[in-house]
Parts: sequence; structure tokens; C-alpha cells
Amino acid sequence: MKEKLKKIIHHLKTKKVAYGDARYVFNTNQSIAVKGQTVEAISQSDDMGIGIRVIVDGCWGFAATSSLADEDLIKTANLAVKIARASALTKKVEVQLAKVKPYIDNYCTKYKEDPFLTPVDEKLELLFKITDTLRVNKAVKLAEANMNFFRTKKIFCSTEGACIEQEIVESGGGYTATAVAGGEVQKRSYPASHRGDYACAGYEYIRQMGLLENAERVADEAAALLKAPDCPATDTTVIITGSQMALQVHESCGHPAELDRVLGTEISLAGGSFMTLDKLGSFRYGSPIVNIVIDSTAEGGLGSFGYDDEGIKASRSHVIKEGIIVGYLTSRETAPVIKSVSNGCMRADGWNSIPLIRMTNLNLEPGEWEYDDLIADTKDGILLDTNKSWSIDDKRLNFQFGTEIAWQIKSGKIGQMYKNPVYTGMTPEFWNNCDAICNKKHWHIWGIPSCGKGEPKQTAHVAHGTSPARFNNVTVGVSK
Amino acid sequence: MIGESRIFSTLRSIIQKSEADQTEAIFIGSYSGLTRYANSYIHQNVAESNATIFFRTVIDGRVGVATTNSFKRNDLLRTLNNSLMIVKHQPPNPDFKGFPRPCKYKKVKTFFEPTVAYTPRQRAEVVRKICREADKFKLTVAGAFSTSSSELAVINSNGVAAYQPLTTAGINLVAMSDNSSGFASGLSRRVVKIPFESITKTAIQKCLDSRNPVDLEPGKYDVILEPEAIAEIMNWLTYIGFGAKPFLEKTSFLSRNIGKKVMGTQISIYDDGADSSGLAAPFDFEGVAKKKVYIVKKGIANSPVYDSLYAAKGKTRSTGHALMPGSGEGPMAGNIFIAPGKKSKASLIAGVKDGILVTRFHYINGLLNTPKALMTGMTRDGTFKIKNGKIVGAVKNLRFTESITKAFSRVGGVSKETRLVANWWDDFGCCSSPTIMIKRFNFSGKTEF
Repeated sequence: MKEKLKKIIHHLKTKKVAYGDARYVFNTNQSIAVKGQTVEAISQSDDMGIGIRVIVDGCWGFAATSSLADEDLIKTANLAVKIARASALTKKVEVQLAKVKPYIDNYCTKYKEDPFLTPVDEKLELLFKITDTLRVNKAVKLAEANMNFFRTKKIFCSTEGACIEQEIVESGGGYTATAVAGGEVQKRSYPASHRGDYACAGYEYIRQMGLLENAERVADEAAALLKAPDCPATDTTVIITGSQMALQVHESCGHPAELDRVLGTEISLAGGSFMTLDKLGSFRYGSPIVNIVIDSTAEGGLGSFGYDDEGIKASRSHVIKEGIIVGYLTSRETAPVIKSVSNGCMRADGWNSIPLIRMTNLNLEPGEWEYDDLIADTKDGILLDTNKSWSIDDKRLNFQFGTEIAWQIKSGKIGQMYKNPVYTGMTPEFWNNCDAICNKKHWHIWGIPSCGKGEPKQTAHVAHGTSPARFNNVTVGVSK
Repeated sequence: MIGESRIFSTLRSIIQKSEADQTEAIFIGSYSGLTRYANSYIHQNVAESNATIFFRTVIDGRVGVATTNSFKRNDLLRTLNNSLMIVKHQPPNPDFKGFPRPCKYKKVKTFFEPTVAYTPRQRAEVVRKICREADKFKLTVAGAFSTSSSELAVINSNGVAAYQPLTTAGINLVAMSDNSSGFASGLSRRVVKIPFESITKTAIQKCLDSRNPVDLEPGKYDVILEPEAIAEIMNWLTYIGFGAKPFLEKTSFLSRNIGKKVMGTQISIYDDGADSSGLAAPFDFEGVAKKKVYIVKKGIANSPVYDSLYAAKGKTRSTGHALMPGSGEGPMAGNIFIAPGKKSKASLIAGVKDGILVTRFHYINGLLNTPKALMTGMTRDGTFKIKNGKIVGAVKNLRFTESITKAFSRVGGVSKETRLVANWWDDFGCCSSPTIMIKRFNFSGKTEF
């Protein structure tokens, strides 16, 4: 395959492109979903092709094909050139790329058990044991469990001489118990909602998730929610735990820190960002204990890799340092705008997509609190866990999240369970009210395999390392 | 384009090799181009040629799915075998009653050569005109303009053989000033039918009219929801409520309510994949003809949509709303129509004493409480104050949190004009919507712009 890519690169050079790259991607996905004692969906998909990106006349062109025949690849390369020339009809400035070292390298995810070699029977046995356990509680009317495995092989070659081969392996899954009574529906999920938790890892990740061990508790909580009172509407202190903290970071820091959004190139669909360039280095995004890093080197993180889809080596850098905006998620084209170099966030979701600035592992650094101490230190508040709904404005300021479950915290103790909790706020005000973050012991990298962006729409696999954190003066219970 | 005869002959020859009791193959070919612009220049410009082939096999009620995007014979055979391997490792699905049998579906013209022949340069020329028009008003523009052709073919060992070529063209456009924005969009199977000039004018005028927006306190306001705003709500209703999966699982607002009044009598929502005034696609991904299904008729909950699996579970017949195999999402309504009313949009606005006009919603989420269809979302790209029947200026964007069934029970009027809006189903669906006036719509929050 490398030879085919090299031929494309040679052809692009004969076309005198200012820059060109060719990316071969072969994605394999195995997806298993069960409902009760029935297999809801089980499938294996292969998807491969080559995407060719060029700069001609100072503008971008991209064309992709699933046909690997030599004549089709040359046709596709020529189409990319033609498209770039069409782009030049509206050119304002020449596309300039930050200079980089062209790497020749290989990278492979570290994993112990190849998830595609683990027998389907074994996977189904575990999933059915989970749904059986969930259904022991008679209030649970719907027990769903799933696993997903991904293998991405890709080769990237550029006219600058880069040639990088990578193999990324990802595993994950989760389950949901849905309790129904009358017109009331309540769900509890483990370890996270919306298909569970994922990592760059093999089947060993599934084995250590504690899936079966938590099933009884999850079912009982779903059933208990049916009888729980609604979360009260109040302004209070909240402690956010689990995957909800990850989604809070994702929506209110990750997306607004994408430099393409900041520069307006995602405005028509996903929107812009309040984290404008004038705020870099001075704007107080959060309290001094808030540190957020973009880190594609984090071992096991779903956003980890060797190189991004522009050939930039994985790296770690701050976006928020001691509460101040100090960086963005960047690309070779955008980094020079802030007089910086790319921190390697350009990723495409397949051979047929152009790379966009995407989150990798965007992590809230752990603080110093023990979780039990944090609860004990909270006089009056609400504990929120597991995302249910999410919504945020197109500059990422006003957000509203719903969680599956909440508990009252009274005089340092967890008390009454609440259903239908919702909280809302404005991003900087919210993060400036963060006064405690739990320590490394409670820190986990949550993998999200479904981050949408771009036109045509792309779905990225991203992750967020978070631990439970406390926020004061938060408006809760606004759904009424 | 590979074409009907080559697709059928190739897939038939593969199916004949299958050891399964029943075998199905689905071919989705896609040849698309998309020109994306922002800050009044083209910054992304892409083309893709792809074909995905699904094999679904059944042995003793056990179902396996495997997918490839290679049309080479060896890869197709390997994928068929992958599907059979999956089948062998799972228990029977008692709800699965077999693949559909052949049926007649309405012949609808969905393929138009000028859309296929549209070049990247032609798309760029349209964008250039839009940019130049915006320049005249010192505005910038952003959006995307796509043209595509696709082929959908479904073939199974029961004799189903359905083929439909499709073309689609769509544009969206945001015009922006320092403190305002305006949105407009267009969608058609025929690129020549998209009124680029009027779309540009609408977005620019909305942007100019929404300059210097003022703060408005959240609360209950009468609202005029334009088609783009309604279509976004319909996307979520489709997902959480219109399909047989949430219906039978009792998480839909339709569950327990069939035959009961769930919305105002002015609201009728139906799905019609054979209506060429929308983006028609006359059969589903199992090759079953799409039936016209009233989901809500004059405010009364009528029926969800079904595929063959959920039809068996619900002891009824498929309505032709299967998705691609392996999705696990159940059947979906993709060709949504909301019946128009008798009033003009202008008269709806004239009837509002103190209210808000919403051009478009952003980032709606409908998972808050699905049996109540409780949703939240933000306004964007043109939110206006209406006073005594007239638009008097722009307001900063607001967050709504509302039960959509309750909101649609307080309808003050439905416009006779409708517009096609793109939805989540790309080439295979859309939403045709009027403008709707709703009384006392609940805005629960606000933002800074």
C-alpha cells in the first residue's frame, strides 16, 4: 500500500502542488448489542480507501475514493487538484502551513488481548449475564448492553517526505437498565451512558471494567428513581462525578478551544467560540485550581495516537493553566495565527474525510481532594452523576445538562436520591466557581466514541481525564 | 455510478453462494462533492466516491450482518462469510420472522442529470456570488453547498430486487455582522431548483435585521417557529418518539397514547417517502415500499413507523421504514411532512401581540424526559421580538426547555407556506414544514449574544 501512496505523491509532485498528502485508512469495526436475551445487532464492518489532500493556487482541495485501482487513484488525485483550483475562485489569502519535521515512523496501540480474536461467544455470554442481572429487578423493563471494537490501520505520506504507519486498537462498551412504571421512564447506565466507556486498548479493558459487578446496583438505582422525588429547583453547590464531568469538559472547554471554531470556520453548523484570540494569555476561564491539558500521549486514552493526520507527533500542552486560557487545539494551518506550532489535533474519521481540528484526550488535571473528604466538606448541595442530556449555545457559553441521577448532600453526607436532575450555567462563571477537584486516585480517562463535527459530518473518538469536582452557585432543576 | 444491472448481477451471484437460509444484500453508492465556506472564502472543498455493501444472513432465526466498501468479488464473498460466521455464534432471535417478500413500490423520479454533472467550479461560482453579495453589505458569509448522486439497491433471496438512483443538492448559509447573524437554506433533488439568490437575500436581510440585539428575560412568550426551527425539533421527535422501537419500549410519547389527543388539532405529522415534493426515497433498506404513515393526525396519536423486525414484535406489518442493518436503532421516519395550515406566515406574525420569532434552533437535546418529549435548545441566527404584530428588533439568543407535545397543544396557527429542510437522513429524507405559532413557549435561559 505504501507503494501506491508513493505513486500518488510522485504524481502530485508532477502536478506541481504546493503541498500534498495521501492517507490510506482501513477501519474494521465489530459491534455487538443485546437487549434482554435477544441479540439486537451484531455486525462486522470493513471500510477502506484513500484520501488525497492538496494545496494548489494557495487553496485546499480534497478527493477520496474507495477504489484502490491505480487509474482511479490518479483520477482522484487530479480531482483534488481541480477542486483546489475551484476553491481559488474565492481566495483571500494563500494557505500557509507551519513547517514541521517529516517523520518516517510506525506506531501501534499497546494492548494485551486482540479484541477481534476474543470469541464472539465469550462476548455474548458476558453481555447476556449482564442483562440477566439487570432484569432480576422486576421494575427494569429494558436491559441493554453493548460492546464495540475498532481497528484502524493507516498510512500517511506527504510531498514533504513524511511516511507514517499506524495501527490503533480501541475497545469499550456499557449497559443501561430502563425502569418503566406508568408513564415514568428512568434509566441508569454503567460505566457511562450513550454506549459506555472506551479506551485505546484490547479486550483486557472490557475485563477490568467491572461490568457484571455493578449490574445489580445499577438496576436497583433505575428502579429506585421511579419512586424518587424530582430534583428541586434551586441555586446550590454541586459535585459532578463520573462521565458527566467528562462531558462538561468536552462541551464547555474542548469544543470552544478548537482554533478552527475560534477562527470562524465551523460557524455555520457547530458554531463559533467565546474563547476568542484576544483572551489568550489573559482571560480567566476558571478558578486557579482549574488546569486543562490536551494530551494525545496519555496511555490508553481513546484520543491517543502516534501522529495526527497531518503527521504531527503526539504531544501534551496546556489549554487552561491555573484558570487562564493559554492555548488552543491547533493544526498546521491555524497554529501560525497564534504564533505557535501545531499541537497535533488534526484528525479525520476515515479515508473519505478531511482532517479537522478535533479533541484528542482533553483532560482536567486532578486536584488534591479525597472524594470522601469532598462530600464531608459539603454542607448543602447536590451530587450529580452520569450524563442524560446535553445542550450548549453556539459560542459554548450557556449550557444545560441533564444527568441520570442525583443525591442530596446534607451536612457532609449523601442523602435523598433525586430523579430528572438538570443544571445550567454560563461557562466561565461556572468554572470560576470550581473550588475543589479530586485527586489522581479518583481520576479516570473517559472515552467518548461519538463526537460530531464538520460537514460532511465526522465522528471522532475522543477522551477526557477527569475526577469529581465541586462547583458553587449552580442553578439546578430548570426543566420545569 | 455502477448501475442497476451490474449491481444486481454481481450481488445475485454472491447471494447464490450463500449457505444461509436467507440472504440479503444492500448496496449504497455515494458520489458527492461539498464546498464549505467561511469568512467569505472557500476553506474546505471535498469529493468522495464510495460504495458500501451490507450482507445480512439468517440461519435458524439467527441474524448476522457484515459490511464492506469493496465491490470486488473476493471481498464480497469474504464479507458474506463474515456474516455467516457471526450468525453461527449467536442464539436465535425469536422476533425475527424472515426477510420481506417482493412488493410494488411507487416509481418516483429522484435522479436528475444536471445535479450529477454539477462541477466543483460551478459550486465555487455560486459561493463567489454569495460572498460578493454579502460584501455589498459589509457582511461575511459561511456555509456549505453540496451536490451528490447515490444509488440504493436491495436484493434478497426471497426475490426482492429494488433499485433507486438519487441526486441531492443542498446549501446552508449564515450571513454575519459584528453582532448579528442570519440563516437560510435550500434543498432539492434538482440543483437547478435551488433559489440561490433568494436564499442569499434572506440570510443577509435576517443578519441586517438582527443587528444590535437586546437582552430579553426568559419566560413564556408566544413564538413563531420558522421551518428550520421546526425541522430540528422533528429530528429529535423522529429519534425519541416516531419509531416502533421507543413505542414498544414505552419510552415514546406515542406509547399508551394511540387514539388519544397528544397535540393541537391543527397539527398533523406524517411520513411519506414516495412524495416527490420532499426528498422521495420510495423503499426502505429492506426493499419494502414506504407507506404514508400519519404519526399524529389532527392532534391524535396515530401510529409509529415499523420495519419488518419491529412489525413482528408489534404484530403488525412493516411500513417501510427500516434503517441500514446493524444500526440497532430500529425503524425511523425520515420523510417528515407537517400538514400546512390556512394562514399566511405574515398573518401569523400579525396575530402576535408580544412574542418572539425563531429562525433556527441550535443543539436541541430531546433526552430529558422522552415520554413527555421534553427538550431543550438554543435559538440562533435570527431571533426577533414581535410587538403588536410587527417585528420590532432583535433579541439575544434564548434557551427553551419545553415538552413538545404540550407546546404543540398550544398552537395558535400554522402557515400555508411550507419549506423543505435537510434533516439527519442526508440523501434519504428531509422535513417539509410550515411556520407554526405556539402560545406561551417556555424560554428557561439566555446567553450573551
